Amino acid sequence: MMAQVGTAAKDAPQLRKSSWKRTALIWLSRYGTIVGLLLMVIFFSANAPGIFLSRANFLNILSQASLTAIIASGLTYTLVVGEFDLSIGYVASFVGLIVTGLMAYQGFPIWLSIVCALLLGAAIGALNGVLVTKVRINAVISTLGIGTMLTGIGFTYSSFPIATGIPRAFTDISLGRLVFGLPNPVIIMVIVLIALWVILNKTDIGQKMQAVGGNLEAARLSGIRVDRIKIFAFATAGFCAALTGTLLSSLLGSGTLAAADGYLLDAFAAVFLGSATLKEGEFHITGTLVGVLILAVGFNGLSIFGAPTHFQPIFKGGILVLAVGMSALARRYAASV
Amino acid sequence: MPPAASAGPWMRIRGLTKSFAGELALDHADLDIERGKVHGLVGANGAGKSTLIRCLAGVTVADEGSVTIAGEDLQKGSPRASEQAGLAFIHQELNLIPHFNALQNMLLGAPKVTRFGIIDWQRSGVAARAAAERVGIRFPLETKVSELSVAQRWLVMISKALVGEASMIAMDEPTASLSGPESEQLFAIIRDLSAQGVAILYVSHRLEEVLQLCDRITVLRDGRIVDGAERGALNKKGLVRAIIGHDMRPPDARARFATDRSRQPIFSVRDIAWKSAVKGVSFDLYKGEVLALGGLVGAGRTELAHLVAGVARPDAGHFELDGKRLDIANEAEAVRAGIALVPEERRSQGVMLQQSVGFNINISTLKKLRAIPGLPFVSDTKARRQAEGLVAQLGIKTPSVEARIGGLSGGNQQKALIARWLNAGTRLLILDEPSRGVDVGAREEIHDAIRALARSGVGILVISSDVEELTLLADRVLVMREGRVTGELTGADIAEARIIELSYHDPNDEEGDIA
Repeated sequence: MMAQVGTAAKDAPQLRKSSWKRTALIWLSRYGTIVGLLLMVIFFSANAPGIFLSRANFLNILSQASLTAIIASGLTYTLVVGEFDLSIGYVASFVGLIVTGLMAYQGFPIWLSIVCALLLGAAIGALNGVLVTKVRINAVISTLGIGTMLTGIGFTYSSFPIATGIPRAFTDISLGRLVFGLPNPVIIMVIVLIALWVILNKTDIGQKMQAVGGNLEAARLSGIRVDRIKIFAFATAGFCAALTGTLLSSLLGSGTLAAADGYLLDAFAAVFLGSATLKEGEFHITGTLVGVLILAVGFNGLSIFGAPTHFQPIFKGGILVLAVGMSALARRYAASV
Repeated sequence: MPPAASAGPWMRIRGLTKSFAGELALDHADLDIERGKVHGLVGANGAGKSTLIRCLAGVTVADEGSVTIAGEDLQKGSPRASEQAGLAFIHQELNLIPHFNALQNMLLGAPKVTRFGIIDWQRSGVAARAAAERVGIRFPLETKVSELSVAQRWLVMISKALVGEASMIAMDEPTASLSGPESEQLFAIIRDLSAQGVAILYVSHRLEEVLQLCDRITVLRDGRIVDGAERGALNKKGLVRAIIGHDMRPPDARARFATDRSRQPIFSVRDIAWKSAVKGVSFDLYKGEVLALGGLVGAGRTELAHLVAGVARPDAGHFELDGKRLDIANEAEAVRAGIALVPEERRSQGVMLQQSVGFNINISTLKKLRAIPGLPFVSDTKARRQAEGLVAQLGIKTPSVEARIGGLSGGNQQKALIARWLNAGTRLLILDEPSRGVDVGAREEIHDAIRALARSGVGILVISSDVEELTLLADRVLVMREGRVTGELTGADIAEARIIELSYHDPNDEEGDIA
């Protein structure tokens, strides 16, 4: 179809050997977080071998991590497309309340309540997406606005925690161990992470999401319907938030106002830690998982060593600032190469 | 004659060396710069021009070598030291704050007269107004920069340099977005400044300009200074040879494709109008030809391209593709109809810099790369095979298809953007300024690729402000002026003089005023 022009790829200039300093920097910017995680594990194992280094504690860490991992990987999607979602914590709290209410007040069967809850989360996410893309409200404003509204709507729906009338089978979902003796939330997390990883890395829509986040104008001119892609990302974030909220209600055995609000900060910290993992400043699912594990191991270690509870927000906030800083440095470094 | 006190050149660059990722970007460069002279700096993309300038500006720290100004060593890696040494830099992007007015921009970073902490713009502006007068600014300095033309912004930047009492002003591709007379005006200012003792470092791909304007020309290739000569000692052919290392094919070696108007046009534009930028444009594009839109920046060509590509919707008129009327609501619909745009701003609208070469090539054809038809999974093997095929076909120089596209030269990025559309079932490819900021060697390869595409039956519409490019590439040129097509040139009529004439003068316009 077309004539061979110019020189072929094999004539490309050969990169010369990098200096060890540069190699070390690259290595650190990619694997620094993983090394940090391993160091934490080694430190805790050495100092509290009996308590930290046990199967029970590891399963405990994993099940704590699973709810954060699910909500954080949804958040990862919005960041991949260059937006973000401040409503996820509120969505999780709200849906967690609604799902118990549907069973306790409306008498829905468990499966239907959960399906409704997840669809509700996805719909709220999609609404966020529409507000951001079609109405063009800045994501900070629209997701914060929607999230705040949800808090109020939740209060209107039930001003006190919903604890009675919840079937036992619902709480068993998060307490049960159906596969390999692993807690069910861990299994659900694994399924969600694999699904989101595959979608992001192996499908059209995932490639398009990365293109939209990489260069919006270029993506548009490549024929990508960028609004749809962004709405999909927001809907995924909403869906994942709803799943976390539902699992939390199951775990608590009740629907409580504002129960999951704190996941917002955890999720952000995890996602930004993740963006400085393996890649230079790009958001991705594997990185997010590493970020979540760092938080979970950190919290676990703090409580084992008997640190007062108010140390947790210090650790969490510190990690968030550190993570965003590392991510920014990694990105700047990547841009300068 | 230089002042007796300082023997030798004003600025002395010795052995300047800088490597990135182990790759030498600048290799022991020696250069003397005299005040009152215009120094041309030319070279292919990646030859080291920008690195040299960035080292002077203090943005990049050189690994080795020294810069001495009037006998004093310039502190490395300090933009402030560079500024205080009297060096000013004007980049293509023109670092101006759009919602500040011209005066505020000129005084950015300059000390201002204040009363009780409130800036007195009247008194602060004295130096700026003097500078504005020196460069011949005629618009009010209270005009917001966002309302100024590119040429006017250049004048603001130069004035800003003069306010900072610059002894040397480096300019990067100043005429890339300027029209002919605007460029002439800039040259006059440059000569004026030079006569007043300012050193000018003029970086450009436009060799005619460099030959016409510069007192000394330095050629960089692969980070080394390969040639340097006084005006008159070099001609264009010699310059091109020095830049690319070999001779270029003469421009008129091939016959232009004769448009066959008896066949159905691939693409038709009918009475398209949009705001005040496009005022009723009609033309047909035929199979096999490279049709080009010439004219000045602001003539409505880019806007027309955007209307075709679905970026905006026309107020009136319609398009026909292969004889069928089109209604395009957005970019995605245009792409689905087979219309693609390779945009003017490569970095901001074309490439996804963080992504790989392969990703950038394949992004518009993901559906064809599915592992199993009907399921949305992309096959890595198919994706790599397609990207590698296109990389070879267009001669894109990259270590691999997995390499980040950001590391490639402008010319190779541009080729990757063209590659994006080769397997996408494209019927009409619009290329806006396809060789802007691309070196001569790569430009030739891009032209070959465009021509081959046209001959293979894809409709090709090229927009270029580079008159030389039009004469090299186009089989037919439509010249636009102020939103209208003012003339058509074919065959031997496609000459620089004719294009320029039509760009400034509408033959249908009785008054015939020249802008």
